[in-house]
Amino acid sequence: MKKGYWIAAALTLAFVGFGLTAFQKTLTPYLTFDEARKARGVVQVMGGLDKTSDRYDTSKQELSFELLDDKGHRMPVVYRGIRPGNFKDAISIVAIGRYEDGRIDAEKLLVKCPSKYQGAEVEKSYASAPAPGKAS
Amino acid sequence: MTYFWPGVVALWGALFAGLASAVTYIRVERGRRDLLAFARTTYAAFATAIVASAAILMTLLLQHRFDVAYVNSYSAVDLPLHFLISTFWAGQEGSFLLWCFWGSLIGLFVWRSAKEQEAPVMVVYLSTFLGIVAILCKQSPFKLLPPPPPADGVGLNPLLQDPWMVIHPPVMFLGFASLSVPFSFAIAALWKKRWDGWITRALPWALLTFLTLGTAILMGGYWAYKTLGWGGYWGWDPVENTSLVPWLFTAALVHGMFLQRARKRHRKINLILASTAYAAILYGTFLTRSGVLADFSVHSFVDLGITGWLVGILATFIGLAAVLIAWRWRSIPTAADEDTPVLSRSVLFILGIAVFCALGCVILLGTSAPLLTRLSGNPSQVQTAFYAKTTTPAGFLLVLLAGFVPFVSWKGETLKEFGKSARRSLLVAAVLTFLSFVLGAKRGDTLILLFTAFFAADMNLRAVLRKAKNSKFAGAGGYLAHVGVGLMLAGIVVSGAYARSQRLTLPVNVPKKTGDTTLTFLRVIPGTADRKQAMEVKVDTAAGKSFYAYPKMYTNSRTGQLMANPAIKSSALMDLYVAPQEYDPGQPETIGRDVRLVKGTTTNIDGTGFTFRDFNADRSAMMRGEKTVLVLTDLTITPPDGSSHDLTVRYVFHMDGREAEAEEPDIPGVPGGKVRVMAVSPNDGAVVLRLTGVSKNPADEFHAATVESLSVDVTRKPLIALVWAGFYVMMAGGLLAFVRRAGEARRAVLEASEKPVSVGGPVPATGPAIPAHTRSPLR
Repeated sequence: MKKGYWIAAALTLAFVGFGLTAFQKTLTPYLTFDEARKARGVVQVMGGLDKTSDRYDTSKQELSFELLDDKGHRMPVVYRGIRPGNFKDAISIVAIGRYEDGRIDAEKLLVKCPSKYQGAEVEKSYASAPAPGKAS
Repeated sequence: MTYFWPGVVALWGALFAGLASAVTYIRVERGRRDLLAFARTTYAAFATAIVASAAILMTLLLQHRFDVAYVNSYSAVDLPLHFLISTFWAGQEGSFLLWCFWGSLIGLFVWRSAKEQEAPVMVVYLSTFLGIVAILCKQSPFKLLPPPPPADGVGLNPLLQDPWMVIHPPVMFLGFASLSVPFSFAIAALWKKRWDGWITRALPWALLTFLTLGTAILMGGYWAYKTLGWGGYWGWDPVENTSLVPWLFTAALVHGMFLQRARKRHRKINLILASTAYAAILYGTFLTRSGVLADFSVHSFVDLGITGWLVGILATFIGLAAVLIAWRWRSIPTAADEDTPVLSRSVLFILGIAVFCALGCVILLGTSAPLLTRLSGNPSQVQTAFYAKTTTPAGFLLVLLAGFVPFVSWKGETLKEFGKSARRSLLVAAVLTFLSFVLGAKRGDTLILLFTAFFAADMNLRAVLRKAKNSKFAGAGGYLAHVGVGLMLAGIVVSGAYARSQRLTLPVNVPKKTGDTTLTFLRVIPGTADRKQAMEVKVDTAAGKSFYAYPKMYTNSRTGQLMANPAIKSSALMDLYVAPQEYDPGQPETIGRDVRLVKGTTTNIDGTGFTFRDFNADRSAMMRGEKTVLVLTDLTITPPDGSSHDLTVRYVFHMDGREAEAEEPDIPGVPGGKVRVMAVSPNDGAVVLRLTGVSKNPADEFHAATVESLSVDVTRKPLIALVWAGFYVMMAGGLLAFVRRAGEARRAVLEASEKPVSVGGPVPATGPAIPAHTRSPLR
C-alpha cells in the first residue's frame, strides 16, 4: 500500500509543479499604459473609451479606438471582430492582448457597461474573430 | 433604514433558535441527555424560521412589493410566474437564503440518521449555516426603500430569463447544503474518535452533492452554449471554476469513502477530503461574493460589505478542521501495512483521488491568480490556455484510471491477467480510434485521448453488462458513471479540437458558402409580445437538405441592451451553431459636399487645415497626345494636434471619356480620414477633393449605399452531443449509486436504533456492523 501512496504523492507533486510552470507562463498582468509598452507577451490594460477616437472598418471588420487612463494617458487598441454591442456606452474597457506597433492588438475585450443589475450582463467579454479550425 | 419586520423577525428568530439548538446539543454531548428533546425542538424552530423567512420573501416577490429593496432590484410586474419565482435567487441575499433553506430541511434528515452521533454532528452542522444566517441578518433581503414605493421594479437580468437559469441555482445550492453533512460527520468523527461509522451515513449526502452540483454545472454550461453565442459551454470564469472545484473534491471524497468502506483503512484521507471539499465551497463563496475578483471576471461581483464575514467563516472552518486533524493525527487508527501490488483497485483509487485533488488545486490556483499576484504587486490573471494545458493531462489520467478499475480487484492483479481481461476493450478502442482517424481526427494528441476515452468507456460498459447479467445492476453505478466519463471525454476532445468556425457577412438574399453548407440571410422577423426579434437564415447542406435557422437579435426593452442568441441545429454527429454578430439594416447613398481648393490657399475643416500646394501633371505625355494623364496633387495637412504632413495624391485622367482613376490614401494625422481627388482644373489652378472622416457634420460626408446584411459566426461542432450524453450517463450512474447507498445508510440507521444507544456517554469503538464490502473482480 505504501507504494500506492508514494506514486500518488509523486504524481501529485509532478502535476502541481507542472501547473505552477503553466501558471507563470500564462499569467497576464494588469499593467499601466507605460508598463504595457515595455512588456512582452500578453498583457491587459484597462481604461475609459475616448469616444471621439473609435473607428470601425466594416470591410476588414476591424475596430480601432483609444483608451484613456485616469491620468489622461492614451493607448491605441485594435481589435479584429465585430464591434461589441453597447460599445459606445462602456464605462471602462479591458483590452487583453499584445503590445505591437505602438498599439495593443487585442485578443479579447471586456466591456463594462453601466447597468441597473447586479449580475452577469454588466460586463461582457468579446473574443476576436475565430481562426478557422480554432478550438473553443 | 427601515425593514419589512416579519422577515427580519423570522431571520433573527432563526439565528437565535439555531444558536440555542447548537448550545443545547453541546450540553447534551456533555451528558445532559434530558435536554435532547429540547435541542431537537429548537432545531425544528430554526428550520421553521428559515422556511418562514424564505416564504415571506417569496410572497413579497409574488405580490410585487416594490417598496422592498430586494424585490425592486430584481423583479418587475411583466415577468411571467416562473421568472418571478426565480428572482428569489437572482441576488446575493436571496441565494444565501436559498442555501440556508436547503440546509435547514436537510438537517431534519441528518438528526434522524446520525443516531448516537446526533449531538456532535448537529453542533457542527448547525454552525455551518449559522454564519450565513448571521450574514443575512446583517445584509437583510427585507430592507425597505424610502417612500414612495416605486410602481415597478428594475426587472430580472435579461440573460437570466431562461428556463435553465430558473432551476440552476436551486439545484446548485442543494449540492452546497448537502456537502455540510459529510463535513459535519467528519468533524464529529474527529471529535468523538469514531472512525468508521460515519462513512456509511455520510456517503449518500456526498453522492447527492456529486449529483446536484454536477447537474447544476451542466445546466450552466448548456445555458452558456445556447444563449451567449460564443460557441462554447465552458469559459473558465471564476464563477464556473468555483462550482467545479468543490465538485472535483466531492468526486475525490466519494471515491475515498468507497475505498474506506471496502478496505476498512485509509481513514485519514476521508477526514481530509470531507474538510477540503467543504472548504472549497466556502473559498469559492468568498472569491465570487466578496468583490476581490471584480476586475477579472465577466461576471460582476458587487462587494456588499460582507467580505470580512466571509473571510471569518472561511478561516473558522479551515482552522477548525486543520487543528482537529493535526490534534487527532496519531490517534487515527491505521491498519497494518499490506503488500498490495500497484495494479490493484486500492492503488488505482488512491491515484484517482490524488489526481482529482491535484486538478482541483491547480484550477483553484488559476482562479486565485488575481489574489495571489496582488500580494506581489501587479494583480494578474491567467489566460484560459492555462486551464487547457493543465486539465488535459489530468483528464487523461483520470479516464485512464477509470478504464483500469473494472477488471482489477482490491487485492491486485498481475499484468498478464489484466492484459487478458483488457484485450477486448483495447481492440474496440483501437477500431474506434482508427475510425475517428479516417473521419478526420488527424492530430496525435487527440487520437491518444480518444483511444483512452474509448478504452475506458468499453471496459466499464462490459462491467455494467456483466453486473446486469448477474442481476446486480443496482451495484453498477460506479461503472456506469465511468462509461459516461469516457463518452464525455471523447465529446469534449472532438468538439473542441475539430470545431470549425468562420465569420460570414451575409448580404440579404445572397447565398454564401462555408465549408459544405450554404447560408442565405432572408429577412428580419419582427418581435412580438412573446417572441423575440429573429433573423431568418436559410441553410442548405451538402446532402441537399435545407432548413431555416432563426438566430435571435433584439433590444431589451428595459435596458436598451442588444441581445443576441445563437440558433443551433443539433444532430447526433454535428451541431451547426449560428451566432449572430451584427445586423446592418443598410442605408441609401448620401450626397455630401466636396471641397474645392485653389492653389496656395488653405481651407480649415473642423480643426484640420488642408493646403493645396501644387499640381504635378505629366505634361510631356499630354504633349505626345496620349489619352491618359497622371496628375499628382501635393497637399499639406495640419491636423488639430499641431503637426504638419505633406501628402501627394495620385489621379489618373482619361481623355477618351473613361472614368478617372483616383487613389484614396489615409490622411496623415487624422485617424480614419481619407482623401480623394475628384476633379482637377489646370486652367483655374483648382482641385476638388472628397474628404472622408474629417468633417464632424455627417451631412458633409459621402456614403455609398450599403446593402442590408447580417454578420454571423458559423461553427460546426462535431460530436458535441456526446458531451451532454456522456454527462447524462455519468449522472445516471451517480443516481444508481445514490439510491443504493441511501438504502444502505437507512438500514445502518435502523440497525443502530435496535441497539441500546447511549447518547453522550461512552460509545463503542466501531460503528454499526457493515459487511466488509469486498467485491470480487469481474472476469
